Amino acid sequence: MSPAPQTTIWRIAGMTYLQYVNRAAGSVRSAVKEPMKSKLAAHGEFSYSAAAWNAGVQGAKTEVTVLGAAGKAT
Amino acid sequence: MLSRTLARKVLSRSVAARALSSEAAEAVTLNFSVPYESIYNGASVFSVSIPGTEGEYGVTPNHVPYVAQLKPGVLQIVHEEGSEDEKYFVAGGYAMTHENSVTDIMCPEAVKLDDIDPSAVTSQFEAAKSAYASASAGSVEQAEAQIDMEVNKAMGMAIGLNLA
Repeated sequence: MSPAPQTTIWRIAGMTYLQYVNRAAGSVRSAVKEPMKSKLAAHGEFSYSAAAWNAGVQGAKTEVTVLGAAGKAT
Repeated sequence: MLSRTLARKVLSRSVAARALSSEAAEAVTLNFSVPYESIYNGASVFSVSIPGTEGEYGVTPNHVPYVAQLKPGVLQIVHEEGSEDEKYFVAGGYAMTHENSVTDIMCPEAVKLDDIDPSAVTSQFEAAKSAYASASAGSVEQAEAQIDMEVNKAMGMAIGLNLA
């Protein structure tokens, strides 16, 4: 029988598993030696523009570059 | 009487069919990937040791089907029985073992242990420790500092550093 799931600090703070695992990945990427480090550096970056729609009208576009801001209504 | 014999024949044939369909797998078929690369695709390996959130577990041929969320830790692949294991440090992800011993492991980042820089790990751990101490309880900053501490501590353990 598996033990009861324990709530983690990041769950209490409102983070999702995706945010947790992407932060962990960033930590790993910044701790590697040089030739590998520059190769992996771009993996943590992303950006896209998002706009909220309201009653058929597109709102203002905002740029999303941080995982914490992804998926939130602008 | 004819129908009874027929029924027995049908029964024994379906039992045989069931036995044939669950043939023992001889190796674990490994699919190990990160978003930018498929590190192993259909490779036949002897066993894989996976760092699950509830503990490390090993997958050998004919393992019971299993799904596990991964924690930052070391993934060990033994290609042939008795050979030296190949280690990767993974940042997390998911691992699924299917009925036919196909194992899918998906991680956001995986690096070889030789690529990890011990001094970077130590300084990141110390920075995270002080950030954790100065952050307010229950805040995102504290959670992020705790994640950094956990990952760097695991990386340290993987390369032989004892960070606390």
